[in-house]
Amino acid sequence: MAKARALDKRRKSIRSIRKITRTMELISTARFKRAMDRASAATAYTERITALVRDLVRSGLEVRHPLLQPRAEVQKAVLLVLSANRGLCAGYNSSVLRLANIRRKELTATVPEVQLEVSGKRGISAFRFRKIMPDETFTHFEDRPSFEEVDVLASRYLSAFEAGDLDRLDVAYTKFESLSRQHAVVETLLPLGGLESGGEEHAEEAGRTQYDFLPSAESILDEVVPTSFKVKLFKCFLDGAVSEQIARMMAMKAATENADSMVSHLSMIYNRARQGQITSELLEVISGAEALNE
Amino acid sequence: MAELKCIVVTPERTVCEEPADFVALTLFDGEIGIARAHTPLIGRLGCGEMRIQCGGRTTRYYVEGGFAEVLGNVVTVLTNRAVSAEKLDEAAAREQLATARTQMANTPELMAARDRAIELSRAQLRVAKRIS
Repeated sequence: MAKARALDKRRKSIRSIRKITRTMELISTARFKRAMDRASAATAYTERITALVRDLVRSGLEVRHPLLQPRAEVQKAVLLVLSANRGLCAGYNSSVLRLANIRRKELTATVPEVQLEVSGKRGISAFRFRKIMPDETFTHFEDRPSFEEVDVLASRYLSAFEAGDLDRLDVAYTKFESLSRQHAVVETLLPLGGLESGGEEHAEEAGRTQYDFLPSAESILDEVVPTSFKVKLFKCFLDGAVSEQIARMMAMKAATENADSMVSHLSMIYNRARQGQITSELLEVISGAEALNE
Repeated sequence: MAELKCIVVTPERTVCEEPADFVALTLFDGEIGIARAHTPLIGRLGCGEMRIQCGGRTTRYYVEGGFAEVLGNVVTVLTNRAVSAEKLDEAAAREQLATARTQMANTPELMAARDRAIELSRAQLRVAKRIS
């Protein structure tokens, strides 16, 4: 009886774990939908900013801004790593951290001063484990990073860059491409690589519309560039949040499926063991009766 | 002729997308009115009130910085923050103004930051007051 009971106990515990993973899957599905809505709203904003820049370029303005100019000598760089506050999301954290580590090594080899800033408890503890102390840590960016929170961070980078205290900003995060494709990337956000001004369209549609600029195209450009940096950073945070939820959804789905197959496997063994026990007990009874008859 | 359409977008969400007869925006140096068939325009926004009139009904928003683009009867407003005027918290704006006024400002940057904070909270108060 002992073996069958042990099997039953295991089956029960797997069932209760399955309940938990199933719930977590449902929660992250709901969160993912919310995060996805926010991300697509941000995409609308980025697209409009990009369109605005394209229109500016079309009006014959030369795009030149201190934020776009690469620095000749990089004295100080910041690496910002966006990881999750929670685990149980498959390779989400580890793939970001792996890339971040590689980039950090590259940076420390070439740049005299490298600062490491980490968002998310998982990333912080992973760096601590490697005996690397992050210079700044953030844990308040949950699955719904708000623009105001990111704005604080972005403004700090912008003023540091303008004052010359910062020459390069790299962000390691998980880029969201589609529901089934998210991968970790490291992008250089400062200096801005370019404002995605559509080059080919420029030629054919140039001069189609004459804009009035209030106050002037230059002054608008002065404000568009920092704004587009902020939005880009915000987009990184949103992408990270969406990808985290997807990763957790997938991980929990796999866990639930595994639990299902384990339960059915254990059920089979349990039934066999029980049947075997009954058979052996019957045999004992029969053989006992036979012995009495003789 | 096509009617005017007004789209207000913040990085977090699309605040409104609706038809309008007339849109009034606060630019960096004052208010601008946009009716249909306006010249294409790109302008820097200041902080203040935005009104959308549609069929005798006026919707008011408080808008904080950003850009406005007018092209082909579509007014696109890109801003960091857009709040419906009814939802503005007058008490909070008043408090913000009070703290901004008492802020220390001994460098030019701090002074600029303080001035900006005062300007923002005053603009919020103006919009909030007009509604009540």
